[in-house]
Amino acid sequence: MARLNLILLLAVLASALYLVRTQYESRRLYVELEKATAEARKIEMDNERLQVEKRAQATPLKVEKLAKERLQMRTVTPAITQYVTYKDAPAAAAGAASAAEGTKP
Amino acid sequence: MSRSVLYSSSPLLASKTPVWRSKFIVAGIALAFAGLAGRAAYIQIFGNEFFQKQGEVRFARTLELPANRGRILDRNGLILASSVPASSIWAIPEDVQASKAQLAELATLLEMPLADLNKKLGDEDKTFVWLKRQVDEPVAQKIHAIGIKGIYQRKEYKRQYPEGETTAHVVGFTNVEDRGQEGIELAFNKDLAGKAGSRRVIKDRLGRVVEDVGEQMPPVEGKDIQLSIDSKVQFFAYQKLRDAVIARKAKAGSVVVLDSTTGEVLALVNYPSYVPDRRKNLTGEQLRNRALTDTFEPGSTMKPITVAMALEAGRIKPQTIIETGPGRYSLGGFTISDTHNYGTLTVEGVIQKSSNVGALKIAQKMSPQEMWETYMALGYGQKPQIQFPGAVTGRVRPWKTWRPVEQATMAYGYGLSASLFQMAHSYTAFAHDGQIIPVTMLKSSEPAVGVQVFSAANAHAVRRMLQMAAAPGGTGPLAQTVGYSVGGKSGTAHKQVGKGYATNKYRAWFTGMAPIEAPRIIVGVMIDEPSDGNYFGGVAAAPVFSEVVQQTLRMMGVQPDMSVKPQITTQAVEESF
Repeated sequence: MARLNLILLLAVLASALYLVRTQYESRRLYVELEKATAEARKIEMDNERLQVEKRAQATPLKVEKLAKERLQMRTVTPAITQYVTYKDAPAAAAGAASAAEGTKP
Repeated sequence: MSRSVLYSSSPLLASKTPVWRSKFIVAGIALAFAGLAGRAAYIQIFGNEFFQKQGEVRFARTLELPANRGRILDRNGLILASSVPASSIWAIPEDVQASKAQLAELATLLEMPLADLNKKLGDEDKTFVWLKRQVDEPVAQKIHAIGIKGIYQRKEYKRQYPEGETTAHVVGFTNVEDRGQEGIELAFNKDLAGKAGSRRVIKDRLGRVVEDVGEQMPPVEGKDIQLSIDSKVQFFAYQKLRDAVIARKAKAGSVVVLDSTTGEVLALVNYPSYVPDRRKNLTGEQLRNRALTDTFEPGSTMKPITVAMALEAGRIKPQTIIETGPGRYSLGGFTISDTHNYGTLTVEGVIQKSSNVGALKIAQKMSPQEMWETYMALGYGQKPQIQFPGAVTGRVRPWKTWRPVEQATMAYGYGLSASLFQMAHSYTAFAHDGQIIPVTMLKSSEPAVGVQVFSAANAHAVRRMLQMAAAPGGTGPLAQTVGYSVGGKSGTAHKQVGKGYATNKYRAWFTGMAPIEAPRIIVGVMIDEPSDGNYFGGVAAAPVFSEVVQQTLRMMGVQPDMSVKPQITTQAVEESF
């Protein structure tokens, strides 16, 4: 009887210690998980921020500004037309070409 | 050994212990155990709740799970507004310990003079001072790197508007508390904001979360709102409007582009505008969403509506002859005049030449009640059914109070007021075969179902007149585009100043649609006070209409319905106003 009690006591002690360890381990892992989740969220937010920045760099307004200021480009209108004439084309086409208002690109 | 006490044989110890004593001891110990058991029962069972709570207070915390504010997207999914993290910097002035160099560095990062920073930190009575709200993330990291004691950061979110001033009036903005203040941000604040959740956790000594307890309330993320706005159309409209307002030395201007099959708003721009991220020195002029919130007398742009209602009532036919000579008409002490004497015109000619006398003579064939009912059916004098803050009703007085001269002036757009948005909306009745369709700011793909105001045949007849008005010989030939047939009506309204009309202040309008046979879009343009001499709607507003139509239809992939001809601009007919 006494021996059985002793064995049971040891078993209870071992189980208790194991429980403490498991609890500790689970909390440690939970902290890790928490950290990873926070990291994921941060990366997600960074992604969002970068996407917005990317969009902001590529908006038509920005492109227009750069094209006008840095590249000295201007808006095309059909009024600026270059007529290309065939060498052997009839004279009428040549006449039209000379009448057209054209600018060199 | 001899000194030790022999317990068993010592006569001193042989005294007989009374039985009650041992019983008393046993009872005493039993009582003590009973006390312990009672206490244990109290703690574990009866007072359990209280002790649990006390324990929890010492290690459990409730964390708020913030909900992300939804994004605002355009019809193609491009971002118009989105939240990005931005830390706010705060300090406990008492605790701040920093060298001069550190403070100087902090001041430059916060973009504030060193003196201001010192003043903020000098107030020892305060235990909490905001140094700057919502600084950009890279700057916040640099501030963290300086490592001054007593300076803290709080995680917050800031709205970013990549499209800047082009969409400012549509999208609106939020305040520092992330609540919508203007535009869509305000109108859809509830949907965008979402609902914060919470979770109960156990924290250890180092403040790390080690366990979840109890139930979690996951946050309800803010919904993304997809608008009907096309950011490219929006940009072109803004660009053309801005260039026109500057070129015409005007005060302001607005453009509205509607999809005439679905009723979606493709673009809504105003100039002057503002950059939503930098709102420091904003003026009311910049903030005003004129297209929706300002009402004006629309002038000649009303004439097609006058004609349409007379057609619908069967009082006239497109070819009915109207005598407009001698270009003047006296009524109730007022003289209404045209810029030229057009003599005898057909109804089509009245629209084409924009004759005031012609329009009033057509209106005289109608009763005030009939006119009023049509105005109401077309949405005048009522708030547009659109999910947008600040939209105004405009003014159409009850028909019973109309005097004959007022009925006459309303025929050509004076004596009643409307916003540009209402104007463009009412033209859906012409574009959509007589049906006025509901408009929406949200993306929708189904064709809108409207209310029949005019018959399809009459709508078609008016479209033909609009096409004539926008063609050479009409008042708005500058509205012509390359490849697409257009129709529209220009308007030039004297501005009301005080009680009368200013003689040298005008408002130029142009409202029209394209392609004219099967309209896809309606474009309304308004230029406020063009002051370089070109103040006619056909000169100031029509070119903007032309360019916006051209770009928008091309972008929508609409096939050109006319062969491309070189641009020839003929002299416009001078318009009456």
